[in-house]
Amino acid sequence: MAATFFGEVVKAPCRAGTEDQEEEEEGRRETAEDREVRRQLARKREVRLFRRQTKTSLDVSLLEKYPCSKFIIAIGNNAVAFLSSFVMNSGVWEEVGCAKLWNEWCRTTDTTHLSPAEAFCVFYHLKSSPSVFGSCARKNMQVTLLTCRHVTDYKTSESISSLHSPFLKALKTQNFKEPPCCSLLEQPNIVHDLPAAVLSYCQVWKIPAVLYLCYTDVMKLDLITVEAFKPILSSRSLKGLVKNIPQSTEILKKLMTTNEIQSNIYT
Amino acid sequence: MASRYDRAITVFSPDGHLFQVEYAQEAVKKGSTAVGIRGTDIVVLGVEKKSVAKLQDERTVRKICALDDHVCMAFAGLTADARVVINRSRVECQSYKLTVEDPVTVEYITRFIATLKQKYTQSNGRRPFGISALIVGFDDDGIPRLYQTDPSGTYHAWKANAIGRSAKTVREFLEKNYTEDAIANDSEAIKLAIRALLEVVQSGGKNIELAIIRRNQPLKMFSAKEIELQVTEIEKEKEEAEKKKSKKTT
Repeated sequence: MAATFFGEVVKAPCRAGTEDQEEEEEGRRETAEDREVRRQLARKREVRLFRRQTKTSLDVSLLEKYPCSKFIIAIGNNAVAFLSSFVMNSGVWEEVGCAKLWNEWCRTTDTTHLSPAEAFCVFYHLKSSPSVFGSCARKNMQVTLLTCRHVTDYKTSESISSLHSPFLKALKTQNFKEPPCCSLLEQPNIVHDLPAAVLSYCQVWKIPAVLYLCYTDVMKLDLITVEAFKPILSSRSLKGLVKNIPQSTEILKKLMTTNEIQSNIYT
Repeated sequence: MASRYDRAITVFSPDGHLFQVEYAQEAVKKGSTAVGIRGTDIVVLGVEKKSVAKLQDERTVRKICALDDHVCMAFAGLTADARVVINRSRVECQSYKLTVEDPVTVEYITRFIATLKQKYTQSNGRRPFGISALIVGFDDDGIPRLYQTDPSGTYHAWKANAIGRSAKTVREFLEKNYTEDAIANDSEAIKLAIRALLEVVQSGGKNIELAIIRRNQPLKMFSAKEIELQVTEIEKEKEEAEKKKSKKTT
């Protein structure tokens, strides 16, 4: 037995041979059961595509009916707030479908009846210009990704206190020829999760794609973080889509006040 | 590397960091902005008020607190930690007065708070206080003071400083605009504090709280109307300055 810094007692590894063997056998017996449980959970994983209003499921082939030239993905609440107040506010966007998933790491226990209120990904397309949207058409398509990351994940040789967060960094695929609206993400920083998966797919299939990553110190919905995405409005992919910036700023402010979660921990 | 050295406060990392203290400084950045300005005859504390829930009593959400008749402080960070620090400081102020028969100096009470914070960075099983504080007041010699403490237990005297969210932006504004003219008289110092806060406060005057201490006078909290008046004056001055600029160019 050994004591740690906090005075808690921790079992030290035993050097006696016989005790070790018994423990190993016990461990092996449990692992078989664990494996079975894990297999059953894995079978329950699912990804569903459906229309929210009618709750009818959507075949992937139906989405292929919408060819598109611009595919814009926003990941995370700040990026979504930026897109919904600046881009989706100008013009009429029609909801085409939504994608839900469930795996053993999700918090909801109900696997069969996922409520429409918990949409994980909603697809919209611009009614007036149906070429803006899409999923599978690969020719002449340009992908723009927006997401946020905490500034403590940003690795730099400068001191962190000298960083002016929030700030924007870009990462693009080889086929993306346009100059990005901000400086490129330097090494050794890496991109994680969904944006990384999308960029890798685009790089492999030679689709021009760019990721705008906002490093911020406030991960919840925040006006200053959302406004850090503004330089993107001058890019070619978003230029035609944004019409009324002052009105969008007002809508963004309203969104902030309605979504403000009252937390009294920090003052 | 960080993950192995950031669980216990009493462990240094190989490159000399105390990660828990640095993480506590991140907690401070989650609190709303507070700014302190030391004038010639006045000290000003301005804070960004967080919007209060509908059913919540506004008076119970306070960022500026008096520690004694002549000292007050504003904090940013964990509310509960601030309450503990403030209570202990208030007791210390009275205890000192009863023992020495003199009111505390601003530097003394700042040092007390900083020592308290430092103790928690060297103690087994405790975490540091997640607050930074701006302490202002006048000593018996009539000199205005402004001190800032942080979770590591250090304290420094400042002419003007800001803590909490967007503190960097406010500090840069102060570095540009803190001049002898700007603090020439009391109303100018008050305006400087409000202007600094308006740089980062989203909804203008109604989300600002202000407190001042004048020499030999107790703490005064500004009412919402008084702050609105100041904000309107500042906006007028801004417009006039812009008109002058445009006239010069044409």
